[in-house]
Amino acid sequence: MPTSGFVAIGAGIAMLTGFGAGIGLGIASGKASEGVARNPEASGKIMSTGLIFATLSEVTAIFGFVIAIMLIGKL
Amino acid sequence: MNLDKVLKPNIIFNVKLFGAVIPITESIIMMWIVMAVIIILAVIFTRKLQTVPEGKQNVTEIVIETINKLIKSNMGEHWKSFAPFFGTILLFLLFSNMAGIFNIFPTASELYQITGMHFFKQLPEFSIASPTKDLNVTLTMALMIILLIPISGIKYKGVKGWCKGFLKPTPIMLPFNILDYGTRTLSLSLRLFGNILAGFIIIEMLYAGSVFVKPIIPFASLFFDLFDAGLQAYIFVFLSSLYISEVIE
Repeated sequence: MPTSGFVAIGAGIAMLTGFGAGIGLGIASGKASEGVARNPEASGKIMSTGLIFATLSEVTAIFGFVIAIMLIGKL
Repeated sequence: MNLDKVLKPNIIFNVKLFGAVIPITESIIMMWIVMAVIIILAVIFTRKLQTVPEGKQNVTEIVIETINKLIKSNMGEHWKSFAPFFGTILLFLLFSNMAGIFNIFPTASELYQITGMHFFKQLPEFSIASPTKDLNVTLTMALMIILLIPISGIKYKGVKGWCKGFLKPTPIMLPFNILDYGTRTLSLSLRLFGNILAGFIIIEMLYAGSVFVKPIIPFASLFFDLFDAGLQAYIFVFLSSLYISEVIE
């Protein structure tokens, strides 16, 4: 099939979602550790809220990964 | 590695029941194995319980207390009726995510390549892998949680109170609150599926790689099969308990 190369390129482009997710995760975890350094007593609460937002920003990368897998499956 | 083989459900055998053919896939058998392991461990660890704990009873109490503390901090006053359910889901996901680490037995085609006996060629291809790398399994788990949200909402607040929850915090949020049921199913199931499948694919790629990448495999396996697996199981339970506590409070 002549279009299979474009499908592969599309799968690669879909994985660019990891770019934004990485930045988001970095900001979230950096701010969380900053918060723990300022207020060590609240580390439990910061841990759980930080985990929620980390997973929320991570899910965009996972969606991109699933799209890439679907595209690769079409090859 | 053939990606098509990873994504398609691997049918081991078919069961004929009332005229219908039910395919039994690899992930179903893996779930049976995980269930059997959990049941056996539960029976062993809860035998001869005493008032003053000793030996293996300490381990049991630590596990139960950790689960209770997690659910208590998320759900508030109604934690007692949800803690056993979420504890079961946490243990099941933990064991099934970590099942990939026991992938030590050669599959039927590998045995055929080694020995050259035609007997192995007829056997179905079965390898020990996490059942959660199958989207059907994780989607079922997510649908279970999503169905529990309206049920627990109606049980604790009545039909009227549950419907009022759609208008919180402002009535403008109504379409988004309805949309939440769809997006939460998607994100809950795809997060677990994507993470476990990504770890599986990376480890398979390392196995297929040259001699120089082979030393990385134990560390990659440690990260994906133990750390990431535990984290994803925890996050699944954490988020679903959060969704339910939103409705019942």
